[in-house]
Amino acid sequence: MLKNLLNTGRLLLPVLVPSWRFFDEIAPSPRIEYCVFSDDDENAGAGENWREFRPRPSDVSVGRMLRRMIWNPRWNESLFLMSCAERLMSHPTRHSEDEIFDRILTDLSMLSTDTLENSHVTFRLMFIYRHDGALHHHVTYEAEPRPLYSAGRHHGF
Amino acid sequence: MGFDLALRITGGVVGFAFLLQSLEYLYSQRRYRVVFAVRAMLSLLLLIGIGAEWALILLWLMGVFQLHRFQGPYNGGSDRMGMLVLSMLVLCRWLPEPRWQEIAFGYLGLQLILSYFISGWVKVVNPEWRSGQALRNVFEFSAYPVSETLRGWATRPVLLFVMSWAVILFELIFPLTVFNFYSLAIGLGLAATFHFANACLFGLNRFFWVWLSAYPALLWLQGRILGGLGQ
Repeated sequence: MLKNLLNTGRLLLPVLVPSWRFFDEIAPSPRIEYCVFSDDDENAGAGENWREFRPRPSDVSVGRMLRRMIWNPRWNESLFLMSCAERLMSHPTRHSEDEIFDRILTDLSMLSTDTLENSHVTFRLMFIYRHDGALHHHVTYEAEPRPLYSAGRHHGF
Repeated sequence: MGFDLALRITGGVVGFAFLLQSLEYLYSQRRYRVVFAVRAMLSLLLLIGIGAEWALILLWLMGVFQLHRFQGPYNGGSDRMGMLVLSMLVLCRWLPEPRWQEIAFGYLGLQLILSYFISGWVKVVNPEWRSGQALRNVFEFSAYPVSETLRGWATRPVLLFVMSWAVILFELIFPLTVFNFYSLAIGLGLAATFHFANACLFGLNRFFWVWLSAYPALLWLQGRILGGLGQ
């Protein structure tokens, strides 16, 4: 009870007394990459099968930008996942990992079930940052793989 | 702007913002759909001004639930501002003394000023912002640009330098606009344009609506303290 109250206070305090330090520095930026592999693949997760999760489109029309003023669920969810990725670096919790896995599984559930049965899925965080004038990419986190089929029961597999 | 009118507009706009958010949650969340459906209905009540007192209380409790559910704000600063607006509206509706209600609403207006000024201050003390490098980083590798085409802006240093200083100067100068009703109206118009641009370029549409909802608090505060010309 006391722990819950303290946690609520910890979450509410920055709301009631905000810091407003927007973009004070441009921190290393996370990308979520996922990998699906079959159970009998011994090199699971170590190969070239990593794909960026929800890559941005090459272009967005003005009309679409205007529509997004009132309807932008997917992008806002992706921003939340970026927050989860940053939280995994600053104070890792099962919650942040679950949230990312949940969205990956949801997106994968749109694909054919045949190719996903008896498979595992995992994700990693690739952080991009500038150092000495050049851009660098660095993998900072790799989640434990989870069985896709059993996890996918909740996602329409 | 009168206190009651300012409260009504703030409640209406933030109700609209919460309605959009709730519909988005209903679309993308599989769990707690009933919670977000109820939140959508309460937001609608706040928007149209029916049963707003109770809707505010329930929306605030749901805001606390959401902070737990997502272990913090779902969309950073926009959710924080939304919850701040909501908290102050609850106090304005439920505190017994008109003076306390005015203090709560004035606090929201003050926080709105600080939201711009502090954002400008942390930028102007950062050499990377002063040189335009920070904005180049935003376009080149941050997660915010909504398309790959926009990343091309990173190769336009003069444009980014001008944009950086335009943002810094606007944010720093904003508090000075409150000394006159008309300058404040212009300042808020520029601020809304700034949020609109951020929504288009970086997909931060939630910031636009939530910040807009707090503007009546500052318009009222300006008139309350300085007796602005707009009253």
